[in-house]
Amino acid sequence: MAFLDNSGDIILDAVLTDLGRKRLAQGNGSFRITKFALGDDEIDYALYDKDNVSGSAYYDINILQTPVLEAFTNNMSSMKSRLLSISRTDLLYLPVINIYNEGDSALNSTFNNYMVLVDETTIDALTDDKNVLDGGILNGYQPQNGNRLMRADQGLNTGEISKDAPISPELIETQYFVQLDNRLGFLTNPGTAGQGVAVSSAGFQPTSIDDDNIATYLFTSADNSGVVSRLTNGEASAVEGPRGTRVALKIAASLDLRTSTFLFNRLGSQGVTNITSASKTLAAADYRFIDSTMRVSGITTGYTLDIPVRFVKKTS
Amino acid sequence: MATSFKTFDDNSTAITRNLLHEAIPITGSIVSGTYADLNIKNFSHGMFQSVYDYPFLSSSANHIFDLTAGYPANSHLASAGNTQNAKKINIYNEMAQVLVGYDSAGAIREFDEDGDFAAVGTKNKEAYFINFSRLLTKDEIKKGSFTLELGATQAYATPFTDRITLKDTNAASIYKINSPAGEYGILYVSNSAGVPLDGITGSTQQAAGLIYYQAGIAVVSGSVFDSLLSSSVQMNPAGEGVDAILTGSAISGNCDALRHRVRNISFNNTVELNSTIYYCRVNNTDFNYSSNPTYLSSSKLVVKNNSQDLPVSYMTTVGLYSPDNELLAVAKLSEPLKKDPSTEFTLRVRLDY
Repeated sequence: MAFLDNSGDIILDAVLTDLGRKRLAQGNGSFRITKFALGDDEIDYALYDKDNVSGSAYYDINILQTPVLEAFTNNMSSMKSRLLSISRTDLLYLPVINIYNEGDSALNSTFNNYMVLVDETTIDALTDDKNVLDGGILNGYQPQNGNRLMRADQGLNTGEISKDAPISPELIETQYFVQLDNRLGFLTNPGTAGQGVAVSSAGFQPTSIDDDNIATYLFTSADNSGVVSRLTNGEASAVEGPRGTRVALKIAASLDLRTSTFLFNRLGSQGVTNITSASKTLAAADYRFIDSTMRVSGITTGYTLDIPVRFVKKTS
Repeated sequence: MATSFKTFDDNSTAITRNLLHEAIPITGSIVSGTYADLNIKNFSHGMFQSVYDYPFLSSSANHIFDLTAGYPANSHLASAGNTQNAKKINIYNEMAQVLVGYDSAGAIREFDEDGDFAAVGTKNKEAYFINFSRLLTKDEIKKGSFTLELGATQAYATPFTDRITLKDTNAASIYKINSPAGEYGILYVSNSAGVPLDGITGSTQQAAGLIYYQAGIAVVSGSVFDSLLSSSVQMNPAGEGVDAILTGSAISGNCDALRHRVRNISFNNTVELNSTIYYCRVNNTDFNYSSNPTYLSSSKLVVKNNSQDLPVSYMTTVGLYSPDNELLAVAKLSEPLKKDPSTEFTLRVRLDY
């Protein structure tokens, strides 16, 4: 009789992320590990062949052969998709977060992103009325004046369940992390109220800024920020089926972007396509831009959405 | 309530301490010969000489140790007319201050042959110092592992026909703790090849130096080239003895002479590794779903045909988080690990400091 394999206890060596090293170096108690999560960034679940004729042992054979990369030490590069704990095992659908690409939160149709105009000169080049810009073009100089914003909807994106059906309470996302490069901009209230209010006082305060200048903001449905709201049954939405919550935000350009071209020269590029809004055009040769990403992550469900954002500045 | 984090409870961490050892062999030919001294760096101040494991102008070179020599002001060798007399005294005093400390009157103590300062014992007044790089010694030299083999043939041209060994014999259990620089052991001299020693046959009969474990410094008495041998050795091509070069040659010349007679150096270093082990307990109801975008097709799980099928996920990474959900450390599995409601795991994630 053979021995039993007792090697089931799995021992892993961890490496500190750059943020972990920074927190450790600060020596102020901010390096404190209190919880863990599991990730599956390398896994392509499309390889799961649940109809394989050879039997269930072959369903995941391609997934199990996926080579795993060594750990990234950049805290933003790891754990982009996390495993979820849900007590129910009979779920066939899980919520997603989609950009609400309609109306005043539509993406720019030419560039397929949101463009943030960083200063008054750039805005004046594209509109005679600071409140009116074409779809996907945000007033980053005075966000409260702009008529455009960004929205992302959470819910079950399926036509197999009625959009009027209630979503399971445990799948409703009520807390979101939103991450944005703090050198480029900061998040503000999605509303148009408060016109004339100084941009700096209209912005939200990030909960943390990491070593790569990525600012993390926390929004909940109960924080009165106006960012997270409950989608009602049947409300127009980016998800086809039962609705969860909506995240709505605007971006204000950072002081550096508003007043200087330094970051545009270092991180950005010269425009290659004219930008149009209403009847006005900003020629490609006259602006520089920086492409970035705003990441929206549901804390409950772990689902992450990367929203492409382009910061634009008229330079000549 | 869905969640992607699991909080550690009070029994989820353990702290461990391990001592890791590496064997460090240094062959004498690297110290003197192989690189035609291109791996030896002398400085304009002339206080010590650095030895590298490769020509030091190369970026591949690693600093392995420094050599220097000195004597105290009350040595019978000390004389204002000596070459670098003040520097040799400075070196001896500096090393003695750091490694031996001060007596009750505040005077610098001299290196004592057996480390017993209460008794009026023999002092190592004329000494060579081998200061090992932190790269080699790490946290400390392992007690009882140090060996220095020196050529003891009288002729300069053939130094290694007769050889002696300096070893911290029995230091694993017998060592001294009365140094301000940590623990140290006695280096005992014995014959290694031939019988060059004068009447010394026991392995712990004659002390000839000291080894400071945490400081990573060996102190070698000049007597190993002179009074302890049947025949004093020629330390340089001119045929001068150890006293002659300690007085008449610069420190760099003394270092050259010592390197010429180093046959081998070996020791084990020690790294004190403190680890925190996080027990990531994954219960049957935990982490059976994924937020991976490919996990869903039109919000429908691609791993299930109907709601009665068990969900399944495949983990590749463990992330350790702060209370603010900041990712502080990452551990990777070697291959994807399947998780479904019929399985449980305990992943031991070790974080070393």
